[in-house]
Amino acid sequence: MPGFFKNKHKKSNTTNENQTQPPSEQDFPDSIDVRLSNNLDVIKNKTGNSFDVIIRNVSIGLQPKIQTAIVYIDGLVDSQSIKDFLIESIIKSPDLQEKLIQQDPLEVIEDEALPFGSIRNAHDWVQLFSALMDGETIILVDGKTKVLVVDTRGGDRRSIEEPTSQVTVRGPRDGFTESIITNTSLVRRRIKSPNLWVEARKLGKVTNTDVAIMYINGIANEKIVEEVRRRIDQIDVDSVLESGYIEQFIEDQTFTSFPTLYHTERPDTVSGNLLEGRIAIFVDGTPFVLIAPAVFIQFFQAVEDYYARFDIATALRFLRILIFSISIIAPAAYIAATTFHQEMIPTQLLIAVAAQREAVPFPAFVEALIMEVTFEILREAGIRMPRAVGSAISIVGALVIGQAAVQAGIVSPAMTIVVAMTAIASFATPSFAMAISARLVRFVFMIAAATFGFYGIILGIIMLTIHLSGLRSFGVPYMTPMAPFILKENADTFFRLPWWALKRRPQLISEGNMIRVGKDQKPEPPIGRGMLKFTEEKGDQDE
Amino acid sequence: MEKAKISSYQLFVLVLLFELGSALLLPLAMTAKQDAWIAVLLGMIGGMFLFIIFFRLYQYYPDKLPTMYAQMIVGKPLGKVLAFLYILYFAYLAARVLRDFGVMLVTFAYPETPLFIVNALLIIVVVYAVRKGIEVLGRTGELLFTIMYLLVVTGFILIVISGLIDVNNLKPILGEGILPVIKAAFTETLYFPFGETVVFAMIFPYLNNSRKARIAGLTAIGLSGINLTLVMLMNISVLGVNLTSRAPFPLLATIQMIQVAEFIERLDIFFMLALIIGGFFKIGIFFYAVVTGVANLFSIESHTRLCYPMALVVLLLSITMASSFAEHVKEGYKFVPMLLHLPFQVFFPIILLVIAMIKRRKA
Amino acid sequence: MNRGIVLLLLFSVLILLSGCWSKKELTDIAIISAFGIDKNDKGQYVGTIQVINPGNVTGGQQDGGSSIGPPINVYTETGNNLTEVSRKFSTGISRRLYYAHTNLVVVGERLAREDGILRLFDAMDRDPEFRITSEVIIAQDMEAKDIVRTITPIDKIPSNKVIKTLKSTEKNWGTHLRANMKDVLNNLVSDGKEPLITGFRIKGEIDQAMKMANIEETTPKAVLEAEGIALFRNGKLVDWLQGSTARGSLWILDKIEKTDVNINWQEHEEAIAYEVIRQKTKVLPKIYNEEPLITIDVSAEGDIGEVEIPVDLTDPLVLVKIEKEVEKEIKKEIQEAIKQAQKNKSDVFGFGEVVQRADPKLWKKLKSDWNSVYFPELVVDVKVDAFVRRTGIRTKSFLTEIEENRK
Repeated sequence: MPGFFKNKHKKSNTTNENQTQPPSEQDFPDSIDVRLSNNLDVIKNKTGNSFDVIIRNVSIGLQPKIQTAIVYIDGLVDSQSIKDFLIESIIKSPDLQEKLIQQDPLEVIEDEALPFGSIRNAHDWVQLFSALMDGETIILVDGKTKVLVVDTRGGDRRSIEEPTSQVTVRGPRDGFTESIITNTSLVRRRIKSPNLWVEARKLGKVTNTDVAIMYINGIANEKIVEEVRRRIDQIDVDSVLESGYIEQFIEDQTFTSFPTLYHTERPDTVSGNLLEGRIAIFVDGTPFVLIAPAVFIQFFQAVEDYYARFDIATALRFLRILIFSISIIAPAAYIAATTFHQEMIPTQLLIAVAAQREAVPFPAFVEALIMEVTFEILREAGIRMPRAVGSAISIVGALVIGQAAVQAGIVSPAMTIVVAMTAIASFATPSFAMAISARLVRFVFMIAAATFGFYGIILGIIMLTIHLSGLRSFGVPYMTPMAPFILKENADTFFRLPWWALKRRPQLISEGNMIRVGKDQKPEPPIGRGMLKFTEEKGDQDE
Repeated sequence: MEKAKISSYQLFVLVLLFELGSALLLPLAMTAKQDAWIAVLLGMIGGMFLFIIFFRLYQYYPDKLPTMYAQMIVGKPLGKVLAFLYILYFAYLAARVLRDFGVMLVTFAYPETPLFIVNALLIIVVVYAVRKGIEVLGRTGELLFTIMYLLVVTGFILIVISGLIDVNNLKPILGEGILPVIKAAFTETLYFPFGETVVFAMIFPYLNNSRKARIAGLTAIGLSGINLTLVMLMNISVLGVNLTSRAPFPLLATIQMIQVAEFIERLDIFFMLALIIGGFFKIGIFFYAVVTGVANLFSIESHTRLCYPMALVVLLLSITMASSFAEHVKEGYKFVPMLLHLPFQVFFPIILLVIAMIKRRKA
Repeated sequence: MNRGIVLLLLFSVLILLSGCWSKKELTDIAIISAFGIDKNDKGQYVGTIQVINPGNVTGGQQDGGSSIGPPINVYTETGNNLTEVSRKFSTGISRRLYYAHTNLVVVGERLAREDGILRLFDAMDRDPEFRITSEVIIAQDMEAKDIVRTITPIDKIPSNKVIKTLKSTEKNWGTHLRANMKDVLNNLVSDGKEPLITGFRIKGEIDQAMKMANIEETTPKAVLEAEGIALFRNGKLVDWLQGSTARGSLWILDKIEKTDVNINWQEHEEAIAYEVIRQKTKVLPKIYNEEPLITIDVSAEGDIGEVEIPVDLTDPLVLVKIEKEVEKEIKKEIQEAIKQAQKNKSDVFGFGEVVQRADPKLWKKLKSDWNSVYFPELVVDVKVDAFVRRTGIRTKSFLTEIEENRK
């Protein structure tokens, strides 16, 4: 027992595990050899003779023939351009062949032969393999210790389709794909300003995943950008397969149920956020882009809000907050009311519920727990199973839970209604990340309600509020702009005032250029009939 | 002192929630019978004066906690003693409020639950907040303030709709003359709840804008005073003087009377929740003052570690301070105002201020 | 970090072990809808509780066919005070008694007359579960037990029927008033007003009232009806106000909402019905030489509801005459009510409170003898102003047409 209370200094013998060792980095020979065949052997050994590593030997030039090799990875390269441009241009042109003998063949090829966008040199094996794995083509020339790296990245990608996780009625339908360059281009199409800066990194010792940080210079807060850079550069891990990996490394606080980074599949969302001064983090291999910093209210804003009229947008926002509260508190409130505070319930309703509960063998809390867990099981099953079986399961679910369980007297109808309402409410939250956090918090509230009734619930609400108020996302308090209360910014939280009223950018996130809407933007059409010429003389009659 | 800054709006919210905290719960100035509400108004005005005194002291020593400037004003040994006494005072008041709320819950909603558990739960939440610092407390205040206010306003509207208000219960206004009212104001309402704002002297050093803050604080006192006056008016007009003085928690009795449209009735629990929010802040602020004061006085770097032991102290104090509710109430009426509130809220601050002013003149 | 987790685990175990002291499952409580108090010959209290049987209130639909048991069950117990009675019930009932929904309290007449109601209410006032919004009624000429036992048609829960009946008759007929516990307590305490509580009785065969058979016919054998208003003095029931005197008291208390005043017209008795739609009563005190004088000012507005004889309702002068007759009638009712109260030496109208508000110093002198000396001799001046606004959707009655055709 006392051991628990001593300070733990005993964990320091595992320092070896802290550093990830990239596999066999030392196995590279020092530099590129002069002899082509040696180099090709190294390449073959290193890649274990993988079948998709293509080595194409070409002889170029006139007498004497120069041996070159073109190495690329099939599938990562745009094979069309290799076929058409690369090999052809080196082999075919006769003038070229002459020059190749007279001058440095590498320089000739680099300067004159290849109609490609990006060509550079590589001097050592690290650069060579890095480029090869990226999908670039290596041109090795016998007798040279430099190699050419040609950007031929291509290969099969998913085409741009509507994002499945965030669907809108009104708004663009393109969504991010797995290719980072496509993704950044989708944003560039929308923000055609030279101030949109993109910084690239490679993360992951083994995966070497491309990661890009994008922001608008002059709008984004330089301190936050610096902080993002610092945190990303600090990441030291084997693999980065999805933006979620990065999120968990750079978020402000791990032990919380609430997300402090926003992720989205939609380019218009990213663009909107960039214009508010936020920073986007792209990860190659996933269509989900991270946005930092993120505050609580963002997770209740759907991008569609900005395209709709202000009255419906405001109403929907209120509705979403209400829904979120219901999804957290509803089952807990039901438990508290029926087990501790029966005086709250109107007599007629109480009698109806009591009649139902007479038939059920469990206490209300256990019943609620059973129903909630069953629903979570159903939900997970719904995600995993193939579409063909989907409808069968939903029927089973509805029948089993809705009808049979009630009639068998295992659960009461009132509880079923409460759980169903909660479930629907949790699906109505725009951001999936927030809905997930609600799922767990709900159970905590249920336990609190089962032990202390409404007192437990209110203490839970207070604790939740304290927790949320204490969270920060990259230095910005999580509950901005409700707390600290910044009046002007509240125009875009629960309400969504018309665009001409949203004059300033969020002040804690951006700096510099704060005004985003010019003066006198409120639409004021000229009064009356001056627009239509003929009505001036004739009034409403058309004839 | 922690590195934190709170805005004037946050101060406003904190003062308001603090004032409403337990004052909404308990009967105020019932010795003035149906004129209790006038006593509340008078107490509010007195409270504003006291607040100005506390704020002036802060303006003389911005960035310094009272535990520090007390030493600067009256010298180290005396100052330390004074500071320590204040810390005890705040701890006692925190325990008092905790006891009040615990008893309210146990009486109305959870008769079988031991008082210790109910109090312990509340103090744990307070500790959670205070550990995170005054900024978090401020922000939490901003968020919960809206909820609590909404509930209070809804309650008020429902009572009006129920047609429960009988203005006749307020008459005769000043039936016994103005004297009982003034007496009630100066022996009761001035100290509770308005003079208790002395605890905010421990929080002023964290303000980021002192000029706006003074207005914010005074507005909060004014607003809370008006609220409390309205509440007492409501209580007396709905329940009648007799029932209001017999009920340990008159507002709850009033809420119990709401019956609108057949199913909007028995809403006491919701208002109890609003009251708990108020109680949380009152205890929270007292507790924060205690912890910060101790940390400052004994030169401890961070106040977070002190929270748990201090919480235990306050919790135990709240259980042991009185063996029955009647004793607790009597203590509160007879001993606390004269023995504790008067010196700590009025005498010491005035003396300190006078000495400080003299020192300024000299320098 | 470890420390935090350990503490968390300990705390959660604590929660689970605690057993949640104040938890009450719905299946463990007996919801009581009405509470009746009587006195037996030994001077002990007899408590009767009306317990709701939830399955029989809503059920019957799911099982279908089988006969439904009664929606309520009634238990009786004796004891020396109400708390003892309440706890003794546990010997016969499998559940914990839950009073939060006890909306009705019935006091037996004998108990109210002999012992008075002062000693009854403290337990109910003090208990946190009991709500002071419960309505109080007196069982007129019978025991509270009988009223609590009655099964009623349409409203499954009898206490609901009583309360709804009270509400609707106060609103529509005006000879009964609602008295919830808060009002009764305030009136008992106040030295300027005495309580008025409505009385209910069972019309019909009392011993049939508790049987399910009672509601199986279109005309139940035993029906709960509001009868008179009980007048109290010093907490004891002394008299009953019935019919017009009852209504008179409601006029004074400004509680009339809608009612029907019948007037005589040209030797025809009760020939015209005047329906009161709204009214306002002001009770104003005047103090002359340390002697209080009360003026009651009633202004009523209404329609003509019914005529039994041909009357020309289009003539405003006729309407004025009708108004005068109505005023006379109302004044008579009020004066009769005052007389009855004065005879019983009990100020049920709150005139004392009115005097107190007007002149507190004078009240201090008068209050100890108010009920016995000053109130019975109080001069009350009654002024009534009645207006006929409309005559329904017809102007002249068809009877007038018949009359005119004959001519």
